[in-house]
Parts: sequence; C-alpha cells; structure tokens
Amino acid sequence: MAIAIQPHTEERIPAVKAFNQRLAAGGIAPEFHFPESNIPCWLPKRDGRRIYQEYYLAVDGENVRGAFILKFQEFSVGGETRTIVYYHLPISEGIVNQAYASVGVFMLRSATKMQPVLFALGMGGFDRPLPTMLKAMGWSLSAVPFYFRVHHPAAFLRQIAGLRQSAGRRALAGIASVTGTGWLGIKALHWLRTKRSVPGVEASAVASFGSWADELWRQCSPLYPLIADRRGDTLNVLYPPGKNFASLRITRGSETLGWAVVLDTQMRHNKYFGNLRVGTLADCLASPENAPAVLQAATRVLEERGVDLIIANHSHAAWGDAFQSAGYLQGPSNFIFAASKPLAEKLTPFETTRNLVYFMRGDGDGPVNL
Amino acid sequence: MAAPLSDRVRRIVADVLDVSVASISPDSSPETVDTWDSVHHLNLVLALEQEFGLQFEPEEIDQMKDMQRILAILGSKVPQG
Repeated sequence: MAIAIQPHTEERIPAVKAFNQRLAAGGIAPEFHFPESNIPCWLPKRDGRRIYQEYYLAVDGENVRGAFILKFQEFSVGGETRTIVYYHLPISEGIVNQAYASVGVFMLRSATKMQPVLFALGMGGFDRPLPTMLKAMGWSLSAVPFYFRVHHPAAFLRQIAGLRQSAGRRALAGIASVTGTGWLGIKALHWLRTKRSVPGVEASAVASFGSWADELWRQCSPLYPLIADRRGDTLNVLYPPGKNFASLRITRGSETLGWAVVLDTQMRHNKYFGNLRVGTLADCLASPENAPAVLQAATRVLEERGVDLIIANHSHAAWGDAFQSAGYLQGPSNFIFAASKPLAEKLTPFETTRNLVYFMRGDGDGPVNL
Repeated sequence: MAAPLSDRVRRIVADVLDVSVASISPDSSPETVDTWDSVHHLNLVLALEQEFGLQFEPEEIDQMKDMQRILAILGSKVPQG
C-alpha cells in the first residue's frame, strides 16, 4: 500500500491514537506524540486569521505512519509581505520500526513540494535527527544565540548541584560552564557587562496589543530582512490575555519604544531547570536602536518579580549586543533555525543574513515548555 | 564501459549503510539491515540522486522499501545502454 499525505480529519482520530500507541510502545515520550484531535488547540484555522496551523498525516491504508504540522504565518521579507510556513513536529513510525524508515524523508519531501518556502526552528541541537536530515537535504542551518542572566546565584548554584547527575542537566550545565558557577563570578560577570540603563524608560503591562503595536510594526519591519508578522491582531492571537505570560508596552514619555512578552515560571523538577523560578523573554519588538532600552525595561520587570534566572533566544546581531549591554551572557544554544533552499535563496548571502533575521522563542511553537 | 545499474546501486547502498557489498541482496531492506534507519535512508536517497543526476518524487521515495524496488524505480528513470 502506497503512503499518501492527507490532512488530519475527524475520521482519522482513531488511527492517530493507534499511531501514538505504537510510538509509546516503542518508548517514545508523550511530548513527541502527535495531537489526536484534528483541530489544533493552538492556532486553529479561522476565518480572517493570517496565522494558523494545519495537521497532515502520512496515511498507509487505514493506518497512520507519520504526521507533521505546518504553521502558516505572514513574514516581512526584505520589506515585502509573504506567507512562510513553519514545518514542525514531524513524527515518523520509522523511529520505532525500521520498516518505515522512508516515511521521514517522504514527509519532508512532500512538505517541501507542497510549500517550498519552509523553515524549521528549535529542534534541540544540530546533532538531532531532523536537523541532520535538513542539512543533508541542502537546507541552511544556524543556531539562534541563547542569552541568560542569573539573578539569584545561590539558588542557581543549588540547582546546578542537584542536576549535575541528571540526564537533563544540559541547560544549566551549559550556563554553568560560561559563568564558572561561582557566586561572586556570576555577580561580577553580570555587573561588568551591564551598561548604564537608559533613563526615562517605563514598562507597563497591557491586556492586548492595539494600534500602537501596528505603528511600531510599520516602523520596525523594514529594518529586518526576515521577521514574522507582529501586527497587533496577530499578537493578540499569539499572546491572548489570561495566559501565563505578561505583555509589556515599553515607552519613553509618549513614545512607544517597543514591547515584550515575558513569562515567569516556577519550575518543578524540570529536567532542564530543576526548581528554579525562570523568567523568559519569549518575544519582543523594537528597532535595533531601541533594543537596549526595551531589554533593560523587560529585564527589570522580571527581576522585580523575583525570578532566579532570565533566559532568551534571539537571532539578530544588534539584539545580541543589546542583551550583552543589559548584563546577559551568551550560552550554548540548541535552538536551531533551518531555512529550505528557496527560503535561503531569499536570504543570500545566508552566512551574513542569518545574523540579521529575527527569530525568538515565540516564533516557533510559541511559549511552550516554559 | 559503465558497470551495470544493479552493481552501481549495490555499491552505493553498501557505502551509505556501512556494510559490505556482498551482504546486499535484492531482499535487503530496512528490516534486514540494522543500519538502514531514517537518516541513512535519506542519505541513500540523496546519494542515488547525486550518482544518477535525478530527483525522486515523494511517492517514489515511499516505494523505495527494499533493494528490488529501488532498482525498479531507478530502472525506469535511468537510461541504460
């Protein structure tokens, strides 16, 4: 029986459940199982929305042998608006049964044929199977730099000690290798790195993104060669009120400098962060010129809330400088941006442009697992 | 004179899967060769595309479940003199 790519439908729910059961029997953790409902709980396709997800299945007769998600989103590419598609959560039965070793390649080739201008994000590091496959297929890959700032070194060091023997210690161990793990060392590094704060800048929590966000997008989007749509209506879909994140409008006097979406999460036996209270700068927008002020203001909010550690990923070089001037250190990143050949061609020369594209944690699966 | 198609393919399959050419038979498949996993299957597809200067359709990749079918697909795409 030939395998075919088909949209996930209500009739296929039992087959997806059976697929997940076979993955579970093969030892695959639940976070890598495919959503059973055919309607995405995050970003379902609705009338008028410019950002939505669609689920696809690799169907073999009555059975599902693989699945993936396409997230459709508008981007500003060199100042022009076009839809670019995020390829994520590809799962093949080949990971538990070699008889289906061809399904992963089949799905990726099929997705590329359906939507040539694709990207992937995150993926856990260059050495994981998906980035390995993407690289082999000629995609262009780049790590999105990881930045962190330790606010409570004693708590951080306790968690380092606790996680030292665990399999999931990589994130903290990576940070520790940069800081040297000493209390004084951490404090000194952040102090030395922190430039004088920009005066008169204020951060205020907002329930939603209004026309001020549209105006900021209009000003900022031409400054970045590739950036996902961050207009107000899209942001209100991505970051609705009542969730576990806070949306901040950053102003100086009557001028909007930017915005930030932050998370403040008390971790519990988290495999990467133990029991730390972790602040995340999940998303933000400002011109490169105003990046330091926006970062400092968002950092101050998280610091006042009492987080032990603040983390963020950002691909843009000027933002990297801003993170460092706000006292952040750069650690090892396993958050990978991968561009299909047609997308990479729009970013030529990729080796230079990869430092100018605009990707943060909020661009991929959204602020999940944080 | 170029080697027969089957010999060229066996050599590529053996090279990609890191096994001996002698161990590759028409029945060889991901179920019979331990190293024939998803990543190696991709490498095999890409190696064959490079060797023969062609690109497989997704449906053809799906059909490449063993050596015999790989040879059949290549036989229909590669001119043989």
